[in-house]
Amino acid sequence: MINIQDIRDTARDMLAKGEVRTVIGYRRGSRGMPAEPAFITSPEQADELIWDPTCYHNLSLYLVHDSKIQAHLRKDTGAPIGIIAKGCDARSVVVLMQEHYFKREDVYIIGVSCEGTGVLDERKLAAQLNGVQPTLAAFDGDDFVITTAEGEKRLSARDVMADRCLECRTPFPKEHNAVFGEDKTGRQLAEPFAALTRFEAQASSERWDIWSHHFDRCMRCFACRSVCPMCYCEECVVDSITFPVTAQTSAAEKADRVRWIERSATRSENITYLLTRAMHLAGRCTDCGECDRACPVNIPIRMLNNKMEREAREKFGFEPGASIGGSSLVASFLDSDPGEFIR
Amino acid sequence: MEKILEKKRIDDWIAALAAKSQGEWEVHAPALQDGIWTYQPVSGAARLDHPNTRQSPKEFAFPQREVYFSFEQIKGEPPKLTQILPKETRHAVFGVRPCDGRGVPRMDKVFNDHVEDTYYTTRRRNVAYVGLACNKPPNATCFCLSVGGSPVSTDGLDVQMTDLGDRYFVKAITETGKALMMAGGNLLAEAAAADQKQVKQVHADAVAYPQRKINDPDGAPAKLKANFKSPLWEEMARACIGCGICTFLCPTCHCFDINDEVQNKAPLKGQRVRTWDNCQFPDFTMHSSGHNPRENTGDRLRQRVNHKFQYFHENFGMHQCTGCGRCVSECPVGIDIVAVVNKVTEHVG
Amino acid sequence: MSEQQAYEPKIVAFLCKWCSSAGSDLAGVSRIQYPANATPITIPCTGAVSPMYILSAFNKGADGVLVSGCHIGDCHYIEGNFLARRKMQLIMELLGFIGVEPNRFRMSWVSAAEGAKFAQVITDFVEDLKPLGPQDKLRKAERA
Repeated sequence: MINIQDIRDTARDMLAKGEVRTVIGYRRGSRGMPAEPAFITSPEQADELIWDPTCYHNLSLYLVHDSKIQAHLRKDTGAPIGIIAKGCDARSVVVLMQEHYFKREDVYIIGVSCEGTGVLDERKLAAQLNGVQPTLAAFDGDDFVITTAEGEKRLSARDVMADRCLECRTPFPKEHNAVFGEDKTGRQLAEPFAALTRFEAQASSERWDIWSHHFDRCMRCFACRSVCPMCYCEECVVDSITFPVTAQTSAAEKADRVRWIERSATRSENITYLLTRAMHLAGRCTDCGECDRACPVNIPIRMLNNKMEREAREKFGFEPGASIGGSSLVASFLDSDPGEFIR
Repeated sequence: MEKILEKKRIDDWIAALAAKSQGEWEVHAPALQDGIWTYQPVSGAARLDHPNTRQSPKEFAFPQREVYFSFEQIKGEPPKLTQILPKETRHAVFGVRPCDGRGVPRMDKVFNDHVEDTYYTTRRRNVAYVGLACNKPPNATCFCLSVGGSPVSTDGLDVQMTDLGDRYFVKAITETGKALMMAGGNLLAEAAAADQKQVKQVHADAVAYPQRKINDPDGAPAKLKANFKSPLWEEMARACIGCGICTFLCPTCHCFDINDEVQNKAPLKGQRVRTWDNCQFPDFTMHSSGHNPRENTGDRLRQRVNHKFQYFHENFGMHQCTGCGRCVSECPVGIDIVAVVNKVTEHVG
Repeated sequence: MSEQQAYEPKIVAFLCKWCSSAGSDLAGVSRIQYPANATPITIPCTGAVSPMYILSAFNKGADGVLVSGCHIGDCHYIEGNFLARRKMQLIMELLGFIGVEPNRFRMSWVSAAEGAKFAQVITDFVEDLKPLGPQDKLRKAERA
């Protein structure tokens, strides 16, 4: 059981001593139940920090934002930045460090374990509450306690936690500077890749029917990309408007820049976007599930990344975000990599 | 024209509209698919027990992709341009909530006011909006009352339906609405005095239901203008990820891009296409020189909020926001336009 | 009299310059007959093949995509084809996952001396593609 006051005290203390310049964490949002990302810059603000089942956001995204802002401002960052990181989020931080996005000493990881209950999936909760409005969610052992307009409801976390949490093997932030909560690694409620396995049991034509329907619905809002800490490219190769230009860029360079897909949100263009993104995340995605949560039309984006993750694990013995010194999936190889498919 | 339609007869009314004899309307109604409510074409059965659809009905007059014209270059000749106007298929959209209904005249102001967008007007004159009043707020995030709207507003609608339990009170708002109702023939019975009394009560109750509030909507334009350079914007937008959800789901957001889509073989042949664009994308205001006047999330949040509550008000005397609450409930990181406007209007300095 | 045009699949073939492209040249100068369905694109190394090239080829209407390079251990850039082996496995699995027919994408190792093998690879690919018909799952729609 985690006492939020301990986390607040840590944050307050470190900010007061100047050991970190900001603590990225969670605070109560203005919409009622859900938490929202918080950027605590002074000791007095530390009491805003909360920890509850709606702390599903992967805050490592904001480490990327911060790096970009600092690079743009071109000044010395000074003290490191603190971040509240769950087991899944801590792996994202590791991947970013593997890719030298920032140095280990630039980040102070305040690890917080979900203690095996994972975080809330709001769609699953809505299905359980059947129209009743939730106003607060709290951890309580193996349960979530949801406060609603009609009183308190106790739900087994297993019934309303995100799918990725059910399948998670790393509920404890291995990489951390400080850590709160018990290590419940090994307590996994569903087989890894369970949802993926169920999907792959279907015939190829059925899979196409399901996916083509999803690709038709995509409106190219790029929420999946925007919410992903690993999609940090200033120039997204599939997005024709993100071409970085300066005053020196010639008209010819602009005219000749490859446009891989049109801006029309049509099936063929959406497929190229989503599959390219899945490939670019192969070996880097740590299954934080944010892409899935963010998608406004409920496309199961995460499944594409999961597929890549399973290939990485089963065919190449590769785990994203396992250790800072690790290599990247597609920039390394083993002599034992399978090659039977090659004629 | 005020009628009563028994709930179980709605399927027949839709079937009648779709029938060739009635001029063949393509009917759309909210359906639950993939866990969200979306407008789907229906030929008969429809349910109107949805909260609100995930996407607004703006796509009926303003689709994500609109082809302007095609072009073809024959060697040695000037390029041949052929305008491609939308088909004149008539669409009847059922289950339109009042907030989305109010979005329609706001879109009309943009595309049909001092200039006429032929593509928009062709589609617009072929869409009929059959509204459904909100007996109680369908979401925890709606706030129509704060922006001059109401759960029983008929603005932008051709027909207004009110749920009376086992039946709907159906009221024509425009001539098109009347025609839709007449196409239903005997399916729609005359409304009695008791029905009208019940509707009045239902409407009064609906308006009395508590909603989230923008505390000073009238003061918003001046306060937003005064706070253009405020550091508040950076602070409020710190969590913003720069996706397109708020804008794409909004019933009144309408920015677009125009590109040529060219086939990848000779001869040079293609189409000029308009697609939705989004002021929240980081490169939306990127200049050819590399300068970006809105390179921070604070600048972009300010742009959207100001457009809704200041610029549109200055141009047309009304707020562009209709209080549907989608941007509030779907923002992955909790940026809340109600909280933002309240914070700015209450800000001293 | 109008003749029914038999379906001829269009193949986009990414051939590494040092091995497979040279191998295709050898097939040519040896006058080995094989179907002319492949559009060759020479690349420096299969390791340089981005998944975007493959997706783009399908987007633009390719019925089949081939990536061919040096045999393992023979890569001109030492490691390029090892990296390709991994990347191509991933894109192949991803395409199959969403329901694209597995036979539409393939990879081969063809050396500069294997003109006959190159011809065989193309011949086999065309035969395997014919029954699948034109690729319309990923292709960008041509509109009026």
